[in-house]
Amino acid sequence: MKKRTVKLSVAEQKQHNLEIIYKLLPILSFLILIGVWLLAASVENARFPSPTAVWERYLLLCEKPIKKIGLLGHVLTSLRRVFIAFAIAWSSGIAFGILTGWNKKMGAVLNPIFNAVRAVPPLAWIPLITIMFGTGEGPKILVVFIGAFMPVVVNTQAGMSNIKQLYLNVGTIFNANKYQRLFQIAIPSALDAIFAGLRTSVSSGWMVVLAAEMLGAKAGVGFLITRGMESGDQALVLISMICIGLVGALLAIVMQIMEGVICPWTRKK
Amino acid sequence: MNGKVKESGLGLDVEEFKRKKQKNAYMMTMLSVVGILSFLLLWQISVSMEWVNQKFLASPMQVLNLFLVKLTDASPDGNTLGMNVLASLQVSLTGFTLAVCIGVPLGLLMGWYRGFDSLIRPIFEVVRPIPPVSWIPLIIVWLGIGLQAKAFIVFFSAFVPCVINSYTGIRQTVPVLINVAKTCGASNFTIFWKIGIPSSMTMVFTGIKVALGNAWSTLVAAEMLAASAGLGYMILMGRQFARPDIIILGITVIGAIGMLFSSLLNIAESKVLGWKKV
Amino acid sequence: MDQKKIKLSIKNISHGYIVNDDVFQAASNISLDVYDNEFLVILGPGHCGKTVLLNIISGLEEAEVGQKEIDGQPFKGSDKRIGMVFQELALMPWKTVMANTEFGPQMAGMSKQQRRKIAQKYIDLVGLHGFEKSYPNKLSGGMKQRVGIARAYTNEPEILLMDEPFGQLDAQTRYAMEEEIQRIWQQEKRTIIFVTNNIEEAIYLGDRIVLLSKCPAQIKEIYDVNLPRPRDSVSPEFLGLRKQISDNTDLPL
Repeated sequence: MKKRTVKLSVAEQKQHNLEIIYKLLPILSFLILIGVWLLAASVENARFPSPTAVWERYLLLCEKPIKKIGLLGHVLTSLRRVFIAFAIAWSSGIAFGILTGWNKKMGAVLNPIFNAVRAVPPLAWIPLITIMFGTGEGPKILVVFIGAFMPVVVNTQAGMSNIKQLYLNVGTIFNANKYQRLFQIAIPSALDAIFAGLRTSVSSGWMVVLAAEMLGAKAGVGFLITRGMESGDQALVLISMICIGLVGALLAIVMQIMEGVICPWTRKK
Repeated sequence: MNGKVKESGLGLDVEEFKRKKQKNAYMMTMLSVVGILSFLLLWQISVSMEWVNQKFLASPMQVLNLFLVKLTDASPDGNTLGMNVLASLQVSLTGFTLAVCIGVPLGLLMGWYRGFDSLIRPIFEVVRPIPPVSWIPLIIVWLGIGLQAKAFIVFFSAFVPCVINSYTGIRQTVPVLINVAKTCGASNFTIFWKIGIPSSMTMVFTGIKVALGNAWSTLVAAEMLAASAGLGYMILMGRQFARPDIIILGITVIGAIGMLFSSLLNIAESKVLGWKKV
Repeated sequence: MDQKKIKLSIKNISHGYIVNDDVFQAASNISLDVYDNEFLVILGPGHCGKTVLLNIISGLEEAEVGQKEIDGQPFKGSDKRIGMVFQELALMPWKTVMANTEFGPQMAGMSKQQRRKIAQKYIDLVGLHGFEKSYPNKLSGGMKQRVGIARAYTNEPEILLMDEPFGQLDAQTRYAMEEEIQRIWQQEKRTIIFVTNNIEEAIYLGDRIVLLSKCPAQIKEIYDVNLPRPRDSVSPEFLGLRKQISDNTDLPL
């Protein structure tokens, strides 16, 4: 803080006090959160583990990993599934979205089918997929793929069908041919919409992999949660949840950085 | 009108223009119908020609048959279709309504009052990245597998988008409007009520739409993990009894209700936000 | 400007649209010759006809009736010999200043090295040296429009169309840009067709001013501006011409 030699007016003083309160409130809210946690743990002892219990369980988990895979190993297993699914969903989703968003006739033929399929939540496909393909690695990736594919397509389509006429006019004036119009104008101008789709697909994919693993897997964070639930190990459930939350947040940050690198023009001034 | 065309020497014909436009719209609809029909046909043929094993996939006709049967028949999962639909609707609408009633006001208040924001935001940000599905084990321990437990999970998934969108919406209130109100001597609360809330309604509606989608898909997960009735439970049972027709019927009904929901919301939106349309 | 060679000519152009089941006529029977290396200003009230006329010349729209010729040869649609500076800044936000400027030659399939060289020349000409790698969102309004001008020039068109290019700029920047466009034009002579609704701008810049009527647009009068450049906007001749045109202008609706 700068040293003030001027005396503050009453209003300024009030404003100044408010600023301090605003800065303190977040700390207060964290304290409340931890307080509630401690309270919940002390009242219903068996049902909710205290922070220390969770920490001890974490140390135990490091010593005695479940299925001989450490916590990190489980996270990586889940991430591997998610990343394979993303790679397929992104490339095919963007291609499909461009095709149906850019070509009106293609859109008319394929969109109704796509919308019908999209109306079904990704998790609802799990029974059908397991009956067809079993419970191996491939089917799990397929479920995640469905979850990640939909938002990518929807956003890419929206971006491709809302291109500003102005930019296309520039293309006409400079005699751009069909491919140039598509690759130099249409697709770049839809990139931020596409990225919005990718961001949604990351959070939805991460959610789906978790659910898929909870419904049957031998490794992964979803498996850890189910294991905790089945053995009444609430601390393990909480550890997994914290882990899932952290990884989810981390993925979101990575996406934001990636967008900044690939689309530098969207960065704020 | 005709005279005008002749006088200007333009070859523009209103009737022909309209006809062309209509023809174009008609062709697009036809293309859509052809798309859907050929999809169904391909599906039907691939099952009845046994390109795909009948153990894995049921044909559209079989599913339609089952639909009629399942209206009154409770086997194999113990509920008729209507009971399953009602169970699912009850859970999801309870959770969704709660989420809207709590989430939207919370988001609006957070967006408008800074003190409120700095108190609630940190908690919200900590809880937000945890997918609703992962709460299921804890909730089951606390609340069992009844309506409450599932409604809570659904609530959670719908709550987050309601808050975020309301928050962003009210944050985007045009400063000029606020200043106009201020110069007219309105109090902060009046401005919040008369200007902030109306101008954030578009975003709020987007949030509610996302929330409904989330609620519906989380419901399926919740019912698959912990339930004794509902559409999610029905498809899970279909899996356990190796009845692809039941699974597909369940999926279709889930999808149809989801579509119905979103079109109802779209109608509601155009009613409420009529002034937005030019 | 002794030997007045006709560069572009449009003949009997009429155009209209169908709006709400009715024919809305935007331009009616416009014929116009534009001379080589001339700075022609099209002046008209409100929102009527001017942009449509320019869009027809550039090939963004096809006229319902009428022909257009370059050097006596009829042509249709867009043409490589015609460039355009857009009213809204029409810079592609995902391209840097350099990438925006070299857009034309790139579309024509010119090698990277070659098109960079031409683009650099015009970037320097409009005074944006050092901003090649900036994205448009980092530039001011005037700078953005300079990029628009450089982009049009880089395609090396014979005829340059400018559709109210300074309409969105503030007054100060607008004066500066009017000077700039004059300097650039004197350095790199082209046939320019410049659309505006601002009488001072028209007199300040134009060799000739084509005054359009209100809707449907027709040519009302063509003024020769024989004032020496750079023009003094408070000289009696300037003000006299201004009054003359102003009195003859239809009030916009």
